[in-house]
Amino acid sequence: MKATDKENDFHQRILARDDPIAFAAFAELFYDSLLQDVRRRAGSGADPVLVEEAVGGALLDYHDSPERYDPKRASLQSYLSMAAYRDFQNALAKERRVTGRQVSLFDPAFQEQDIVESQETIDSQLQEERLWQLIDQVFPDPTERRVVMLILNKTRSPEPYAHALGLCDLPYDERIREVRRVKYRITKRLRRGIAQQLDRIGGTMQ
Amino acid sequence: MNRSSSSLERLAQLAQGRPHLLAGALMLYKEQEGLDDEQLAALLRCEPSALTRLALCERPRPAPHFREDVERIAAYIHADLMQLAMLIRAAESREALGKRPGETSPDYGEFEEVHTDGEEPSDG
Repeated sequence: MKATDKENDFHQRILARDDPIAFAAFAELFYDSLLQDVRRRAGSGADPVLVEEAVGGALLDYHDSPERYDPKRASLQSYLSMAAYRDFQNALAKERRVTGRQVSLFDPAFQEQDIVESQETIDSQLQEERLWQLIDQVFPDPTERRVVMLILNKTRSPEPYAHALGLCDLPYDERIREVRRVKYRITKRLRRGIAQQLDRIGGTMQ
Repeated sequence: MNRSSSSLERLAQLAQGRPHLLAGALMLYKEQEGLDDEQLAALLRCEPSALTRLALCERPRPAPHFREDVERIAAYIHADLMQLAMLIRAAESREALGKRPGETSPDYGEFEEVHTDGEEPSDG
């Protein structure tokens, strides 16, 4: 199915780069239905955070390179939905690879040490208060912030994480697996948040 | 864990790494001024919910399009034109201060005209 008239209109405005609100208006109109599309394709058990990140990434990639989309070949909604679903599958596969190969929370694949070192770097470049403002922005959820605190305090034992996440009632293997999954994802978001912050202030990540 | 606070806020957060959108500059300004969303919205005289849409707008083009672009954004988010123009200028100046030598900032000559002639241009 080709692009609808409305999609075509947005696409031309975004391509032209002369309308500062075109992308925002497009995202405002299409984001929720894209999210629903990808959730439906990903299945009810799909992690909503991964789905949102995939949809957001697909939209922003389209914003950066709208010329890659051909309105004669598919509707814009289908094009973005497929791109987002592909990103979701890639992210899921990557996460499974990481969690699958970990047999211990001490496995360096978590790269938490990098995060702790980055915190030390960022401490010297940012006020501590700003670091915590950044953390508050990236992690509005208080449970996630508790996990961030544990990571930054170099806590290695899984139990405090399981406690913070309310997972203590789960069987041991499942508890460990869930802790790894959450830590991996939070570490990834923290890393991205710090990298963006350093980028804005002209610093580099270790 | 609260995972339902999705909507455009998550997209605006992801957009902070995209240099052509306003999200990154706005975040830096908020951080440096110590403002929360309500305070920033009050400064711009718009609804706090409009800040997400603002973050997803393109950065205004340099003169001679700056004024036209800021007018368009202000109308879209129902914000005060002059306050928005000054905020964008301040946010991008702060970013420019953090840039390495050789990197350039947008030309805001047209904004200077807007800023100094004392009259608010009409919306539209």
